[in-house]
Amino acid sequence: MLRLPVVSRSFLPAAITKGGAAATNNARTAATATAAASNLLEVFVDGKPVIVEAGTTVLQACEKAGMQIPRFCYHERLSVAGNCRMCLVEIEKVPKPVAACAMPVMKGWNILTNSEKTRKAREGVMEFLLANHPLDCPICDQGGECDLQDQSMQFGSDRSRFTEGKRAVEDKNIGPLIKTIMTRCIQCTRCVRFASEIAGVEDLGTTGRGNDLQIGTYVEKMFMSELSGNIIDICPVGALTSKPYAFTARPWETRKTESIDVLDAVGSNIVVSTRGGEVMRILPRLNEDINEEWISDKTRFAYDGLKRQRLTQPMVKNESGQLIPTTWEDVLTRVAGVLQGVKGNDVAAVVGGLVDAEALISLKDMLNRLNSDNLYTEEVFPMEGAGSDLRSNYLLNTGIVGIEEADMLLLVGTNPRYEAPLFNARIRKSWLHNELQVALVGKEVDLSYTYDYLGESPRILQEIASGTHPFSQVLAKAKHPVVVVGSSCLQRQDGAAIMAALSTITQNVLSGGVEKTWKVFNVLHRVASQVAALDLGYKPGVEAIRKNPPKVLFLLGADAGCITRQELTKDSIIIYQGHHGDVGAPMADIILPGAAYTEKCSTYVNTEGRAQQTRVAVTPPGMAREDWKIIRAISELAGVALPYDTVEEVRDRLYEVSPNLVQYDNVEEANYFKQANELYKAVNQAVLTEPLVPPQLTVKDFYMTDPISRASQTMAKCVKAVTEGAQAVDEPAIC
Amino acid sequence: CENRCCPVHLLTDRDQTSRAKMFLSAAVRSAVSQTARQVRSLHRSAARAGAGGIFVHRDTPDNNPDTPFEFTAENKKRLEAILSMYPVGHKQSATIPVLDLAQRQHGWLPISAMNKVAEVLEISPMRVYEVATFYTMFQRQPVGKYFIQVCTTTPCMLCNSDSILEAIQNKLGIKVGETTPDKMFTLIEVECLGACVNAPMVQINDNYYEDLTPKDIDNIIDELKAGRVPPPGPRSGRFSCEPAGGLTSLSEPPKGPGFGVRSDL
Amino acid sequence: MAEYANLVRRALGQIGGHGGVRGLLLQFFRVNDLKTGTLIGVDKYGNKYYEDKKHYFFGRHRWVIYTTEMNNKKTVWEVDGSMVPAEWHRWLHCMTDHPPTTHPPEPKKFLAEVHQFNVSGTPQQYVPYSTTRKKIHEWIPPKAGAQ
Repeated sequence: MLRLPVVSRSFLPAAITKGGAAATNNARTAATATAAASNLLEVFVDGKPVIVEAGTTVLQACEKAGMQIPRFCYHERLSVAGNCRMCLVEIEKVPKPVAACAMPVMKGWNILTNSEKTRKAREGVMEFLLANHPLDCPICDQGGECDLQDQSMQFGSDRSRFTEGKRAVEDKNIGPLIKTIMTRCIQCTRCVRFASEIAGVEDLGTTGRGNDLQIGTYVEKMFMSELSGNIIDICPVGALTSKPYAFTARPWETRKTESIDVLDAVGSNIVVSTRGGEVMRILPRLNEDINEEWISDKTRFAYDGLKRQRLTQPMVKNESGQLIPTTWEDVLTRVAGVLQGVKGNDVAAVVGGLVDAEALISLKDMLNRLNSDNLYTEEVFPMEGAGSDLRSNYLLNTGIVGIEEADMLLLVGTNPRYEAPLFNARIRKSWLHNELQVALVGKEVDLSYTYDYLGESPRILQEIASGTHPFSQVLAKAKHPVVVVGSSCLQRQDGAAIMAALSTITQNVLSGGVEKTWKVFNVLHRVASQVAALDLGYKPGVEAIRKNPPKVLFLLGADAGCITRQELTKDSIIIYQGHHGDVGAPMADIILPGAAYTEKCSTYVNTEGRAQQTRVAVTPPGMAREDWKIIRAISELAGVALPYDTVEEVRDRLYEVSPNLVQYDNVEEANYFKQANELYKAVNQAVLTEPLVPPQLTVKDFYMTDPISRASQTMAKCVKAVTEGAQAVDEPAIC
Repeated sequence: CENRCCPVHLLTDRDQTSRAKMFLSAAVRSAVSQTARQVRSLHRSAARAGAGGIFVHRDTPDNNPDTPFEFTAENKKRLEAILSMYPVGHKQSATIPVLDLAQRQHGWLPISAMNKVAEVLEISPMRVYEVATFYTMFQRQPVGKYFIQVCTTTPCMLCNSDSILEAIQNKLGIKVGETTPDKMFTLIEVECLGACVNAPMVQINDNYYEDLTPKDIDNIIDELKAGRVPPPGPRSGRFSCEPAGGLTSLSEPPKGPGFGVRSDL
Repeated sequence: MAEYANLVRRALGQIGGHGGVRGLLLQFFRVNDLKTGTLIGVDKYGNKYYEDKKHYFFGRHRWVIYTTEMNNKKTVWEVDGSMVPAEWHRWLHCMTDHPPTTHPPEPKKFLAEVHQFNVSGTPQQYVPYSTTRKKIHEWIPPKAGAQ
């Protein structure tokens, strides 16, 4: 119920929202529910009555009545431009057709969506749009999913009266991700509005006038945004298409699988398009609670990393230390033999950032059966004080959508723009439409919105906690304050002290005027597996392994390079299970090829604590298998057979350990801030003087962060283009 | 079959020849119009032909982001005055006046000037480029000291603006769209400047010179070459846009109070 | 009775022909067959070529007993048809009735000095390169020395 005003706001155009901000704020309280009722008015769509709020546009009213109005420039998440004129409809007793997207309804209007006048208006607009649009649909990548194509079939005339030549526009080079064929552009300005409103990069614009109007950057410039790929989706024609996907597949040839992205901790919903066992592209899927309808460039374009550097067959090291391919029988018996020879503390496991919950639980159960509890994650989380015992300590408790209700946001040691681009887009949305104030402690970075910079020393946090910093007054005044700490600054030696300070800040705020149900403290994770690993009882950090090198080390997708062979004893055996030959595989003695996120049906928990499932889009390459199945096979050969044979049984086991892991698309709330604060009082750790510097400072650090994106050539091109300019990676044009 | 191809056989004998002639001329007409249709006509608006050329920026030696541009101290004061006219947080509204200020200072608008304008207005450079490319009065290519805009739209054309254009071309030795080698004069052809009543006319920088004859424009250019700015306005001797053949009404002084009133009042 | 005597005679012949019971069993397990015949010749690798036109019908009347070591490979149990060198191949496959012992083959450039086995099914086998784009590029582990 709380989210209702947020939804309505997202559907309203920005201009109206700004004016109506007070009204929507009031709508939160139940008392105004009756007042809002008087705000409703009745209109008719083709004679059918529909009740809408005042300020609703004609187009939204028609939508509510179930009548879709054709449109090009209108997009429900962008401001209204009203320049394509495709949404013209007749309204009874109104002399001229009106642009439905921009016209607010008035009481008693009868909107005629299928009258002769409306149809003529549409046909005329379509004829004008096609006057300059090239007829190159057969070689256009948008063909088959083109709004102009569809709507010209539905509303257009069968011939044009234009005999003049068509206008031609020069193509722009705006980077290695987006291919521009500007002659196809119909100047809807959706991309311009997206860039300035959602992405916050005002590089795109319209230059010139009249027939010579064109969309572009005016100067030779790369469209440098972490969300740039979304302009491909919102472009209603084929002017902006995907460069890596160019000329590879048609939409009707591909099979679509609804899945989840795991390259950051947000868990964006995606659609994986595959053809012939190959991932052709990745598109966003609507999820209002997480990614709305956007995805980051890494999510969208790193898919070619799934086809490179893959581990496709089991490997073992021979006498000369060379890894050679072998069979599953061989490698499973070897691993089982190795594991049978060790017990207790002689075996340890480290899990990486892309591991699913099913594999995590299988590995944990297997090692527990070998009397070992040395299960670690690569990411560090301070265990002093409350540690990971309280779930609210390591979650983004406010939720991604909760940011829209916040009025004060304190970011600590994080750069959400590159660590979680969609979360940052949500902050920007709230900053733009809901007057959200942002403050930052940590390295100064470009977040695409303005913020109060408090400094980069962690001492500032202690000052805020003790109330000596002026910002603590600002925080105390806020109605819905939010504190977001980046997981990177918890990797430091003084992580617990930072947590303790933040816990005190949280407690101070909560003891003030904030509603008791409002959650203040948040951790923004960077990797997809961390929350599930902590839920399942993995210990964060590999420090213990360095202190006590085990004889057998099992690396499950551990590619961050936290631990090296030199830190282990000479005769220790490293088993690597994962899908990419990245950092972990070269130092392993035995390699077990696993499946990447598009190749398995598995559970991931995002930074909010929301469990979601990936789906099998393609089969794992070569001899690679799903991770939990490999561990299950090893356990049987090692004589400690795990009691599950199907993925359902693994999930039953997940349910036993932590029920939230199988309650898909649901956020299990956690609220133990007070208890955490009590526990953190025991922490006796001094904060260091080193500044809080998140690892991803500029856009060039964004593209390659995990084994998949590091293997991706597209991402490598992006890095090159960002450092050397878009011209450096320009490929010869095909058409 | 020959008969079927030729429509003539369908006609009666009576008017066969005349009809045949008609068909022939229709065929010729349609053939001509067909060929005309095959010609690929290029759209060239005034904006493209004149002020700025293409609507993308290309770095050239005298127009690149490193071209030095800085507001003079005097213009900085003007800038303050312009900005003070707009409410706080709406500096973007001052884009057009500030761009104009920059153009008056530099003569035209190099990319560095536009970037500077964006900087002082605290907006994205792209927002300035959008405005500068939209308005034809912003010159994004170098122009001479005297920017001659000759109106050749219908009313001026009917008053023989072609002769004016020709006179300028002969005088300066440049064609439309060119600049003299000494960077003094740039000549372009424009659409209606709204002074049709005084046709033919040219605009040189901010001044309108109207009711021109080829001799007048020669004199004007000579004056400009000599470093003097001739007074703007009509050259035919009439005041402003009074009728060309003298006043047809209000030709005498006002009669004053009591005019036409009954004598007994 | 005569049949039985014949059987015993043939059994004794087999035992004698293979060098005792041990040799007989070895031969039986190596090639699952027992044959005796005239030794036509032995090639330089030790493969022995036999012929018996009297007891076997055409097609089975020539055979080879493979050598136990060829090209440094133990071939006691792993025998392969490609162990027969080219000069004997034509006789063995009845392309000619003249064994190379009586009619030495003309020396040809393409005839290998040392006969090579067929490498199909081994890592040395020839694999034609693919003209289609690879869908998955697998990881190639770094060379051991380079680490």
